[in-house]
This record gives sequence, structure tokens and C-alpha cells, in this order.
Amino acid sequence: MRNFSDYDPFAVSVWFFAVTGMAMFCNYPVLMLISLAGGILFFLVRNGTKHAKSHLFFFMLFAVLAIANPIVSHNGMTVLFVVNDSPVTLEAVLYGLNSAAMIVGVLYWFRSYTQLMTSDKLLSVTGRLSPKISLLLSMALRCVPMLRRQADRTADAQKAMGLFKDDNIIDDIHGNIRVFSAVTTWALENGITSADSMAARGFGTGRRTQMRKYKLRRSDIIFMAVTIGLLGVCVAAAAHGSFEFGFYPLTDRICPDTAGKFGIAAYALLVSVPTIIETEAALKWRYLKSKI
Amino acid sequence: MEILKVKDLNFTYPQCSSPAVRDISFTAERGEFIALCGATGSGKSTLLRLLKRELVPLGDMSGSVMIYGKPVCDMDGRTSASSVGFVMQRPQQQIVTDKVWHELAFGLENLGTPPDEIARRTAEMASYFGIGSWYEKDVSELSGGQMQLLNLAAVLVMQPDILILDEPTAQLDPIAAADFISTLKKLNRELSLTMIVVEHRLEDIVPVCDRLMVMDKGSLIADGSPENVISSLKCRPDILLGMPAASRIFASLGAEGVCPLTVRQGRDLIQDRYSGDIRSLPEDAHGHGSDPALEFREVYFRYDRYSDDILTGTDLKIFTGEIFCILGGNGSGKTTALSAAAGLLRPYSGHIRVFGKKLKEYKNRSLYNNCLAMLPQDVQTVFLKNTVREELSECGADIDSFPYDMEGLLDKHPYDLSGGQQQIAALAKVLAAKPKLLLLDEPTKGLDAHSRREMTDILFRLREQGMTIVIVTHDVEFAASCGDRCAMFFRGKVVSAGTPRTFFPQNSFYTTAVSRMTRGIFDNAVTVEDAVRLCRANSGKEDAL
Repeated sequence: MRNFSDYDPFAVSVWFFAVTGMAMFCNYPVLMLISLAGGILFFLVRNGTKHAKSHLFFFMLFAVLAIANPIVSHNGMTVLFVVNDSPVTLEAVLYGLNSAAMIVGVLYWFRSYTQLMTSDKLLSVTGRLSPKISLLLSMALRCVPMLRRQADRTADAQKAMGLFKDDNIIDDIHGNIRVFSAVTTWALENGITSADSMAARGFGTGRRTQMRKYKLRRSDIIFMAVTIGLLGVCVAAAAHGSFEFGFYPLTDRICPDTAGKFGIAAYALLVSVPTIIETEAALKWRYLKSKI
Repeated sequence: MEILKVKDLNFTYPQCSSPAVRDISFTAERGEFIALCGATGSGKSTLLRLLKRELVPLGDMSGSVMIYGKPVCDMDGRTSASSVGFVMQRPQQQIVTDKVWHELAFGLENLGTPPDEIARRTAEMASYFGIGSWYEKDVSELSGGQMQLLNLAAVLVMQPDILILDEPTAQLDPIAAADFISTLKKLNRELSLTMIVVEHRLEDIVPVCDRLMVMDKGSLIADGSPENVISSLKCRPDILLGMPAASRIFASLGAEGVCPLTVRQGRDLIQDRYSGDIRSLPEDAHGHGSDPALEFREVYFRYDRYSDDILTGTDLKIFTGEIFCILGGNGSGKTTALSAAAGLLRPYSGHIRVFGKKLKEYKNRSLYNNCLAMLPQDVQTVFLKNTVREELSECGADIDSFPYDMEGLLDKHPYDLSGGQQQIAALAKVLAAKPKLLLLDEPTKGLDAHSRREMTDILFRLREQGMTIVIVTHDVEFAASCGDRCAMFFRGKVVSAGTPRTFFPQNSFYTTAVSRMTRGIFDNAVTVEDAVRLCRANSGKEDAL
């Protein structure tokens, strides 16, 4: 009865890469459609109607990608019309739509993924692979905003001391270069303190361990097993050749064989796992509430 | 039980002729709370680093450091890292990771502790320190005091035998600093943790420590209970400068008996021996120009549309030729007011006038030419070059007219200077723009008593040259000794203002130690010098005022 975002970050990551991996390595239009629709739906379920700008951006990207292909590529047998002596073909249009769906779908998924994977979760996933990488990442995550704040403060300090003599661009650039060099020095100087603080707490005395903030629960294992099972069906279908699809010179017709049908069903199920989880959680909460 | 034994310790830095630490021997019992003090450059920090094997600087070392009778250099890496805990001065730079919980776990992760035990120990430590509510936060969201508490907890989670702290409160405001010291006392009392603390703000720590050690030029010149050490150092006013006010009054009066350390003990001393008919000092003539140098009229400011007002109709008038101190707690809007005066923030309503002219009318940054300059809180943001000399010549500062001898500092890297020297070098740089109005944000942060006095002298001389100085500070004692007028800021407004001798005796809590000590005995004693003058007058040693 957990929200999808409460599932173990590692399991969530496996699921994400299963969904996007299938979308990226096949070009079967049905899968693209499922991935795009699922990606948009999942983003909407999590964010509601917020982020209108993101949607607009993705729509524009979709349009650009879909139009670009027929302009550049003139392969294909079915000529729709001719612009400036170059033919625009139906096949190229379909291919453009298909790849635009693929790219935009995957971008939607990654947008949701970055929302779900807060730095804690990212660290816990990388930490399972290597505690060292995880520490490096953690330090980097802290360093970037810290340097930025220091740069802002330095610029303010210099301004109030009359460093930027005149109000023009050249003077501003000069000033900013000097601020940058000062912040670099500051970072190096303070790096020494951090290094001391790390040495004082036994860094480099041997193998590191990693504190585990997330404990694997039964539902995580079930989720992971379901993900891998469904992915297995999809991969088997792909290996069988059911997801091969040609656009040129004549676009194939969509008529999946039995393996393909199973593969499509499995992928559709895989994509809807989080929606099922969220709905289940919502229903259970409602049920619990009515009891209270 | 003897926990730490230091024997004949000597240390010389490379390319230095004289040793930084000279023939030091002492032992510490389990559960002792030791305060170590001394002037800048007396070798305190070097001594502390010699006690922590991982931080021993490069140089020639002789003598031995033993913990539980075992030489530190023979321990294996993990034992040595965990048996001595070390907390440094700068809260932010000591933090390594980006989350509070990760920082707590960091030391244990390094030691290869099993994950379940890390979880248990960090949870325990977080509950003990009340970190639970910010356990999941980003470290960048914490205040300085919280960061330093986190550093302390992150060291304690490794269960050290000895805790060493190198000026842990230098970068904190006085209230956070007092909280931190009382946390140390609590740890000492409840866990019987052995602690060695270097401090130069001794008002808070001396009354609670068991033992006071004083270093001078690399040697240990006094070691014992705080009362005895202060009594034996009566002839060293330079060292006593940082001690609690009560003990300084005691020493200046040359009184006999047990040295008082706290406000209560000081009060008893004055009440018993020096109370008399002469209750107040004559008010010094307070001279300033008649024109306002800086004026706030109904100023409102907030950081964004939906946040609360930080400045809530601030009205303030500061006249030419005075030193004006703005006091107030954290988040009262003092620093915001200063940034607004410097034109770095723009109020959404009201006017700020500098020398009678609205800020808006200073076009093309003319505000910062021969008019106004601000020294920010973190002076490291001021320095851009590799030596102080380059720093000053770049902006055309006139070293000769600066009321302090900079000669010794000129060829050093600004970051290698001590806190006090950094502040002075930064001040010299700010003055290059020849401001008539100088804004200072926390100029005494991280300064020892000696540097604070130097800073006061410099400011007085600048005032004589006709400069108007506005200081935002937490440091009540500093404001009392250098301000012509002081004002209290609360929730974005000035709630009271006046000369130190009228302002501080009105306040009951937000006031100097001397004012609290002499309340009801004297009427307007604010600084140690005031109290000493009044005591002398009452005991007949000095002519009536």
C-alpha cells in the first residue's frame, strides 16, 4: 500500500530502465505509442496540470522532430507532394512521427525519473554499486550550490566596495572574471579544511561501508520480479523478431504474430505498473479513511 | 584516571628558526574539561593538531603523545581516527556530504562499521542532540550554529575518548556560541567526556571549565583552575583581555581573595567591597554633525512577493561623524537593512537617503565612489589577489594614511592571515574607495580580544578623520566600547536607541556583562573600564568623579 515513490530506489531504477530501454532499442510503432502515452499519463498522474511549460516544450520538440525527417529524408515510394523539386513521402512522415514519439516518450519518462530520484535515492543506488562513487557524488552535489552562493556573495561584496567602477558590460565582465578567480582560490583553500575534516574522521583507513537508509521490503522484491518477468517476455518477443519493423521503401503493416502480441501486452502491463500501484494505494487509503 | 599524557613536546615548522611549540608536558584526567587560551600565534592550534595524528602538520616534532599510555603514533589508522575527535573553526567547510544524515554516518562509514550499527548509532546521536527534526535536510539549509552542532555530533558518533575543539565558536554569533558551550558542558557532565577546547572568547567557557591552560610564544605559562590562573596572571593585561568581565575587574582593581568568574560572583564582589555613594559616571559629550549621513524613512523590504516583510517600516537617522552600532538577534533584519543601505537590495516602499540624496539618484554606481562602502560579514569574499600588497595596490589603497601598521602583513597571502589581520586588511581595502560612510557587518566575528581592541582603535581614528561608521553586530561588549550610539533591531524595526550609557542599562538581557553585574549598584557602568573607575572612586583610591 505504498506510493510508487516510496518503493526501493533500486527497484524503481530497474523498472525505469526496462521501460525506456525497450522504447529506445525497438522501433515498433505500437511500443512507441504505449511508451509515449504511458510517459505522459504517468507525468500527469504525479504532477496534475502543473508544468504547462514542460508540456509545451515537449509538444514543440515532437513537432520539430516529426517535421524534420520528411524535410531531410526523401526515401520511400509514396510521394505525397513535391516542394521545391524535392518529394515529401508518406514513409518519411511516418518514420518521423515514430522517432519523435520515441524520443519525446523517453524524455517524459526521464523527467519523471529525475523527480522521483531525489539525491538521497540516487546515492543509495550508486552506493550499492560503489560507496566511493556515492561519496564523490554526494560531495559534488553539495559543492556546486555552495560555490554559486559564494560567487554571489563575492560579487556583492566587490560591488559594495566599488570594484565595478562603471556601469558597462566590459567592466562587468572584468569584474566577473576576477570574482571567478577569487572563488576558485576560496574553494581550494577551503578544500584543505574539508580534507582535514575527512582525514580526522578516518577517511582512507580502509574499505568504506555505506549506511542503508532504504530497506528492501517484500513488495519491492515482488515489484522487481514482476518487472524482470515482463521485461523478459518483451525481450523474448524482440529476439524472436516480432518487433522488427521497416519503414522504407514501403512501410510494413502492423500485424504482430503471437509472440509479438504477448510482447505488446507485457510492455503495456510493464508501463502501467506504477499507475496500478498508485491506484491501489489511493483506493486502500480511501477504504481506511471510511473505516476511521 | 590518566587518559592523555604529553611529554616534552616540541615542534618547529619547516623554514622557521624558533619552535612553534616548546617543551610542553601535561597530563589530562578522564572527564576533564580543559580550556586552552593564548594570543594569536601562540601555538595553540599547532599544539592541538599535534594531539591528533591525522592532522600533524609538516615539520620537526619531538616528544611523545600518549593516550591510555599508548603512543599515538603506534596506533592503527582506525583506532587513532576514532579515539581522538577533532572539531575545527569553520562550520561550513568541515562538512563533507550534502545531507545531515549522511554527514552523521560519514565517520562510521569510513571505519567500515556494519550498516545496521551505523543506523543505530546515528539515530541515537540524532536523538541526543535533537537533530531528529532536521535529519533529512540538506546541510546548506542549516544555520551556522546548527552546522557546528552537526560537526560535533558527527565526531561524537565515532565514540572518541578525547574531544579536541579548535575555536569551535569563532564563526558563531554570541547566542549560538553560548548554546554550543553549554552543549559541551552537558556532554562533559553526562558522558564524562574529556575535552580540550581552544577559545579566544573566554567569557562563556572559563566559568564552566575545570582547568585553564595559557600559552604564550609556544610554551605553557599557566595551568590550573581558572581562579588561580587568573590570579597569577594579574600582571599580564594582554592575556586577561579576553577573560570574563568579573575577573578583569578583579584583576584591574588588584583585589585580594578568590577571583570571581561569573556575573553573580562579580556582583557579590562589587556589592561587598565597592558599593558607595558614587553611582554614576558623567555622560561623555557626544559630538556628531547635524546632517544625517544615512536615513531610512518608512522602509519596507521582502525577499519575494509571498514571503514576510524583513524590514517593516524601518525609520533610522544616523548623523555624520558618529559610530552607530545596530544590535539585534538572528533574523531581526540588521544585515538586510545594511545591504539595503548599500544599494544591494531594493526596498519596495520607502526611501533611503545617503547624505541627503536618495539612493536612486546615485547614477552609474557613483554611490561607491568616494561616498559609501560596505565590508561584508565574510571577509574572504573581499580578497581577489595572492598577496595583501597586490590586493591593496590594485585598488589604489593608500597604506600610509591607514591608521594601522600594515608592514608585516603585506607579503602574505590574505588567507594565511589570522582572523583579526584578515579583517584589518579587508578594511584597508574597503577604504581605498575613500568612503565617507562606512558600513561594517559583524567586524568582530572570529576576532580575539586583542584584535577587537585594535579594531576599536582603528575605528576611532577613522571617526577622527570625519568618517561616519555604521556597524551591525551581535557583539554587545564591542558595541558598548566603540559605539557613539547603539540601536536595537527587532523584527525589522528599531525599537530603542541611545548612547551606550543610556542604552545598555535600560536592557536587562541584551546588555553587557558589566551592566548586568552592576545593576542597582551603579547606574551607568557599561564596560569594564567604567566599573573599575566607579569602584576606585568608591574605595577612595581615585578622586571623586
